[in-house]
Amino acid sequence: MLVNAEQAFSQTQTAQQELQTIEKAQQGDQDAFYVLYQCHVRRVYALCLRLVADQAQAEDVTQEVFVQLWQKINSFDGKSQFSTWLHRVASNIAISYLRKQKNWVQRVVSSEETGMEHEQAAQCQELNGLDKLIVRLPERARQVFVLHAVEGYRHEEIAQMMNMAVGSSKSQYHRARGLLQEWYENE
Amino acid sequence: MSKPDFDQFLEQQLQSQDKELSPSRDLWPGIEHAINLQQSKSKRNWVKPAFGSAAAAILVAVVGLNMPMQQDAEQTQFALISDVFEQQKQSLLVQYQSQPALTDNWQQQLAELEQAEKAIKTALEDDPNNRALLGMLAQVYQQQLDLINKVHQPKQGTVLQHI
Repeated sequence: MLVNAEQAFSQTQTAQQELQTIEKAQQGDQDAFYVLYQCHVRRVYALCLRLVADQAQAEDVTQEVFVQLWQKINSFDGKSQFSTWLHRVASNIAISYLRKQKNWVQRVVSSEETGMEHEQAAQCQELNGLDKLIVRLPERARQVFVLHAVEGYRHEEIAQMMNMAVGSSKSQYHRARGLLQEWYENE
Repeated sequence: MSKPDFDQFLEQQLQSQDKELSPSRDLWPGIEHAINLQQSKSKRNWVKPAFGSAAAAILVAVVGLNMPMQQDAEQTQFALISDVFEQQKQSLLVQYQSQPALTDNWQQQLAELEQAEKAIKTALEDDPNNRALLGMLAQVYQQQLDLINKVHQPKQGTVLQHI
């Protein structure tokens, strides 16, 4: 019980410290913003890597997230947890990044966007288990699966974020799940 | 030993999945650079037209010198640089709106430069790391700002005649 109380106290302290850091960053303090970057970059990068399935692009998107975060940080009102808010921002930026990329990439490769090749995913040191399969999924199925199964968004929220029907989000999720099962059972 | 069934695997993997992964390189320098560029952009909003060429010179320097070192943030920087240029250009055009131009065909010249800008940007879409194209784009930006400034500034001789 005492341990729980200590943990709760420590968490409150951390949350208060973070709130102070956010307030400083909102006032234009770049050092405070760097502290926020250090706290959240690995989490944001993990999300971006799962969404875009390409290490170099995931790094670009992560940078884009923090550049836009600097512009948007004043719109964080403290009503939700900062990490929850940041993840929503990061997901939206990653989805919009892929949408923009599509315009010229599609001109070169006129097929549906696939994920990483099997061999490429296998060589990816930082990924293991399920992640090695997720990054091989086709783009839309992968995004829906990551947002729903990994990040916990509802299909209604995903539909809004990805500008698609709720039914499409559900069917993409089932498509992703089917492919993952097939790969898991055959390998 | 047989594999656990897929549902079990999925549940177990989702619970134990790494919530944090580390990028292969330090992403902060690119972010810091883009943020500073944004800040200088917003500060430059009030800058007088005479500084147009200086802004374009900075642009040339950023494209020519920093881009190769900061290729990681290329998309962000490139978008910001184009934004800075567009704002400069629009601010010049608004500034000179009510002032007569010294030549009749300056808008045609500007349209030609805009066509060149468009063609270079199209080429850059397919080859975003091409330094020669980036340099050409910076040059076309500079030429546009110079043209607008030049055709709207009174000739020195004319000013002296009035004194």
